[in-house]
Parts: sequence; structure tokens; C-alpha cells
Amino acid sequence: MTAVGAAGVRPRPRRGLLGTLASTDHKALGAGLFTTAFAFFLAAGVLALLMRFELARPRLQLMTLHGYDELFTLHGSTMFYLFATPIALASGVYLVPLQIGAARLRWARLALAGWWMVIAGGLIMWMGFLTAQGAADVGWYSYWPLSDMPSSPGIGTDYWIVGVLLAASAAILIAACVLATIVTLRAPGMTMLRLPVFTWTMVVTCLMVLTAFPALVVAMGLLLAQRQLGGVFSGAAGAFDYQHLFWFFGHPVVYVVFFPFVGAIAEAIAIFSGRRWFGYRPFVLSLLLFAALSMSVWGHHMFTTSAVENRYFSLTSTALLVPAGIEYFDALATMWRGRIRFATPLLFALGFLVLFVIGGTTGIFVGSPPLDYHVTDSYFIVAHFHYTLFGGSVMGLFAAVYLWWPKVTGTLLSERLGRWHFWLTMVGMNVTFFPLFFLGWEGMPRRVADYPKASGWETLNALSSAGSAVLLLSLLVFVLNVVRSLRRRVPAGPDPWGGQTLEWATSSPPPPENFPKPLPPVRSFAPLQDLREAAS
Amino acid sequence: MRRAGYVAGVTDTRHEYDALAGLYVPIGAAVVLLVALLVVAFAWRYRARPADDGARRPSRVHSAPRTEGLWVLVLACVAALLLWRTYTVEGRTDHAASGRGLRVLVTASKWHWRFDYPRLRIVQRGTDDTPPTLVVPARRTIDFTLRSLDVIHAFWIPDRRFKRDATPGFVSSFSLVFPRTGFWRYGGECSEYCGLRHTWMKFHVDVLSPAAFARWTRTRQGGAA
Repeated sequence: MTAVGAAGVRPRPRRGLLGTLASTDHKALGAGLFTTAFAFFLAAGVLALLMRFELARPRLQLMTLHGYDELFTLHGSTMFYLFATPIALASGVYLVPLQIGAARLRWARLALAGWWMVIAGGLIMWMGFLTAQGAADVGWYSYWPLSDMPSSPGIGTDYWIVGVLLAASAAILIAACVLATIVTLRAPGMTMLRLPVFTWTMVVTCLMVLTAFPALVVAMGLLLAQRQLGGVFSGAAGAFDYQHLFWFFGHPVVYVVFFPFVGAIAEAIAIFSGRRWFGYRPFVLSLLLFAALSMSVWGHHMFTTSAVENRYFSLTSTALLVPAGIEYFDALATMWRGRIRFATPLLFALGFLVLFVIGGTTGIFVGSPPLDYHVTDSYFIVAHFHYTLFGGSVMGLFAAVYLWWPKVTGTLLSERLGRWHFWLTMVGMNVTFFPLFFLGWEGMPRRVADYPKASGWETLNALSSAGSAVLLLSLLVFVLNVVRSLRRRVPAGPDPWGGQTLEWATSSPPPPENFPKPLPPVRSFAPLQDLREAAS
Repeated sequence: MRRAGYVAGVTDTRHEYDALAGLYVPIGAAVVLLVALLVVAFAWRYRARPADDGARRPSRVHSAPRTEGLWVLVLACVAALLLWRTYTVEGRTDHAASGRGLRVLVTASKWHWRFDYPRLRIVQRGTDDTPPTLVVPARRTIDFTLRSLDVIHAFWIPDRRFKRDATPGFVSSFSLVFPRTGFWRYGGECSEYCGLRHTWMKFHVDVLSPAAFARWTRTRQGGAA
């Protein structure tokens, strides 16, 4: 531990890779988990590029049917279990103690174990590629009975289950630490209704992890037992039970990997509009309502099974437009009569607003059973959730990276490369994913490696694949920007943007104890903005 | 009297889908355009200019409970409208099998479709290389019974805007009508990932006029005997 000991002597932190891997400083831990997750993002992105390459033209060019099945399974699984969830929590591990004026993370060793489990789980899952029958090929949701031994005998599927078990358990541990930190380590004056906006999004994120992820752990445990011993699932009831268990986790998880980035764009919009986030209390209420509803919508993944009460799940799913509408209202109202500066974090935040609303409205569309009967399990769904997860979460993630990079590294990123990165992402994202709406509507199913030549789907598929090349280019620009920033080390100073929350009141990067000097008084959710407004 | 969208007493799923999508899509498109427009307009209107430093202070109004409450009311009304239309249409498309139409048993298994016409004693099967053809008469209720022999598949006819899961151990029933005659190459698909050859688990759809269907029935019965 880097906390000051009883004698007032702080043990010297170990350096090097081993030191980083064993550090319980929430900043080293958060940055390490973040980097691990980002590496998995790049790896899963490579799988996506291979799939888009295969789909650019009809027939099989690059791989076998089985190879394609491994790719979409590992793409989805890596993105959800190893990238999106860990990176959402890593953002909390790094930023939450700083935002609430704490010196450390509660139960940091538990969170450290979580990081190791993510690494181990990822390696085990990907090790499937080295086995004779290849990696798991059962989809990221692994429906029973397809995932049972008779249909999927490969040990890659068992590796996959163990990998998911580790990553899911890790998420529960880390979420518990972040939530405990928020509840017990807030600075004097920081009541729950003075938590910064990002920290509030982490509260609901952790609540959803703690309530939803145990269902995934149970589903994976039972599936492993079924494969190895049998006798767990049987008949139609077994098939439906598995789906209920999985989607009870599987819907909340999309909000788990989304809300921290809502928080990030909220901070970015507030900072670069020169005014604090609008409608704080309704916003907090909308987050809690969203989290509560998220636990009651899972059945909309099962509209076509004839085994759920479609009208109930349609009601809860459609009701989501209310809290989402509140959040959009607050975002636009924050910009209203502000003084807006177009720094890169803001560009990504505005891109988020425009792209996510496409994913959101199409989400309401598929929340209607008669409409879902047509488009479910088609490319329409692929387009819909990539607008929420790429247009929403990933755009928000980049807003967060550009916003907090100076705080974490103490150096500035290039604004010019940032703008290139943003516009290439906007173009690449839309060219890749918008055509998929039409493909799905016209009848192209998901998880196919090939499509009939006469289908008329060649042009749209080729267009989508071309878009994915632009996305690759945009990521290369980002990597270039990161490498350049770390080499040139242009000092950022403690507060390069005019931040509003406590993390901007300490040096960049923050020292091990976070706040060596006394904290500014906390009288609202934007204490630094209070000082600024009092001075002018 | 025949109501629009109804053929032989059973709803035309495509007609219903188009009508409901005709409500959702314009509202969705309007919302997307409105958000994009407001984002661009606010970003432009309130952009920082070097000249206005000090002269223009960002607004310090941070809440508008009444406006926001009104907005929540609008959102709730939109949700209610969408749900009302959805429930109405769902009541029609989930119409149980009428029991008086032509019965077709659909059996899905890795990775084939099989269509049984029990009363006509006809079976339509494919091979690994050629998918089977679902042959149906136009403008007549078809009562489908869907089941699977192994894993979960899904029966999807994009032209009908309709799909249903085939879960092993579970029998699912639904009725469809096919108003237009014609041949849809690969007009039916498996849309639930079911393993290796899922990609190629398809069938053709051939909708015949009632007279042509009767002729086809006689030929198949003669040929199959």
C-alpha cells in the first residue's frame, strides 16, 4: 500500500512491470486495467476487420465457415467481457477517488485481483485458438443446447466459459471496490448529491454490475457443469431458462458499458461550454430510473421465442426513452447559452450525442415486438447496437481519453491529430454501420460468413467493409497521437481545460497520495466551477 | 367484407409491419434530425469568440424544473402512443392458428428445413446443396407448426416480415398469408445461429395461384406414390 504508514513513513513503491502489476495505488491499477482492456479492444477490432474483409464479397475468400464462427464469437466476447466492461470500471478505479477527494480506493487489493483475473480470463479465452478444434464458436451468448458437448465438443468452448467466469467475477470485485469507495471515502462536504456527474454514472454502473453479473456467473457455472457432467439443462425449459439467465445479465451489461461514458461526455460538455451540467437532480434521478428499468427489460431479447410476455417487456423497453430523453435535454441545455470551445474531447462528446440517438431510436423500434419479429437476428440489430456501443460507448471513451489524458500522463495530446481522429471516426463509423440497417431490413441474417450472389447485398456489404478500413485508419491516427504525446511530453499543468471537479485541483499526474495540499471547499458537484464563478 | 391488410381472415404480417414502421420510422428520423440540428445550432450559436472574452459570461441558469417536467410529459405521451399502436398490431400478428387453413409442419434440424403437408401427404426436403422449396397457395391461410430436432433455429421469411424461433422440445404455431404469387429464391432463412452450416440453411418460397397449387399437389402426389 502506498498510504502513509503509522510511523508516517511511506514504503517506496516498486518500479517496473512487476511493481505495476502489484501496485494497489488506484492510479497505477486503473491505468493498468485500462491499458489491458484497450489492448483487447484492438485485438477484437482485428477480428472485426477480418470479418468485414470476408463479407466484402459473396462466397468464402479468406476463411472457413468454422473460422468465421470463431471470429464473431471472440469478437463479441472480447468486446463485452474483456474490453468494454473492464475499461468502464477502469475509468472508475482511476477517476472516482480523485473526483471525490479520496486518497485511495477502498479494498484496492480486491480490485488488483480483479485486474489479474481479467488478464488471465482473456488469455484463457484466446488460448482456444491454439487448440486442435479452435476457439469457442458458440456466439458471445452461447445458447444452450448449441453450446453443449454434442454440438460443440471443442475444448475451446470450455476455455471460453472459464475466461468469461474470470472476467465476470473480476467485474463484480472491481465494482464493489468502486462503490465502497464512493460510499465511505468521500471528502468532507461531499454529500451524495454533490458527487460529480461522472461519479454518479459510476454509482449506477456499479449497482448494475453487482445485480446483473452474478446471473452471468451462475449461467457460466451451470453451462460448464452441463458440459462436463450433464443433467443441468434439459428440453425446451432448459433452453428458455438459459436465455433468461443470460439476458438478465445481457441487457444491463450494455448500460454498464455505456453509463460511465455518458458521465464522461457530460463532464466534457460542461467543461467546454464553460458552465456546469444542467439539471443535476433530474439527471441523477434519470440514471437511477434507467438502472432500475435495465433490470426489467431482458425479455425483449426473447420476443420471437413465444416463451415470454412480450407486452410487458415491450412496455419496460419503450419506457427507457423517458430517462434517455431527460439526459439529452440536460446535455443540450448545458450547451445553451454557454461559451463553447471546440477541443477534441468536446468533438467526441458531440459525436456521441448525434450517433447514439440513432442507436437509441432504433432501440425503441426493436422494442416493439411486431417490428422485432422481422429485424431481430438480422443485420439491422448489428447496426443498431453498433450505433449504441461504437457511436455511444466508444465515442464517449475517446471523449474521456482526450479529456483526462493530460491528468493521467501530465502531457498534452495533439489537437490537430485529435481532430483528424474524430472526423475519420465519424466517417468510418457511419460508412461501416449505416448500410447494415438496410441489409438487415432486406433480409440478411446475422452470423453468416456468406450470402447468395443474387441477393443484391454486394454493394452495401462492400461499402461497409470500406468503412471499416477508414475506422482502422482513424485508430492508427489515435495510436500515433498517443505515441507522439508520450515522446514529446508537452507539460499539461494541473488544469489545462478549466475543469470543474476535484481531480483538476491536484498536479498532473497526481502524486501517490492524490491531494498533498488541502482540498478546496466542496459545496456543490462542481467545486472548482464554484470558485471560478465566485471570482468573476 | 374484406378489411385492408386482411386476407382470408388472417392478418397480412407485411402490411401490419409496414403500417407500424410507418409510425416509428418518421418519429425516429425526426428525433435524430432534431438532435443533430440542435447540437450543430447550439455549437455554432454559442461558440467562443476571441472578441467576447469577458464581455459574454456563460449563463448561470442550471435547472428548469417546469420545462423539464413538461418535457418528461411529452416523452411519456410519445411512449404511450408507440405502445398503444404496438399492442394493437401485436394482437393481430400473434393471432393463433385459425385451424381452418392449410397445415404445414416445419421441421428444422442441423442444417436443413423440411416441410410436411400432412393432409396432402406431401414432404418437401432439400439436399446439402439444394435447399427445399416451401410451396404455398396465394391468398389462403397457412397454419404453420414449427419445431426443431436439435438446437435452436429460427424460421424467417423476410418478405412476410415475420420470424419465429424453433426451440427443441417446444412446438410453436402461427398463421401467415401470402397475398402475391411468385418465386423467392432463398426467400426463407434460418436466423438463429445454429452451428457450422447456419450460413447456408435456407429455403426457397414459391407462392402459386390456387389453381396452380392444386396442379402442383396432384403432380407431387402422383410423383411421390
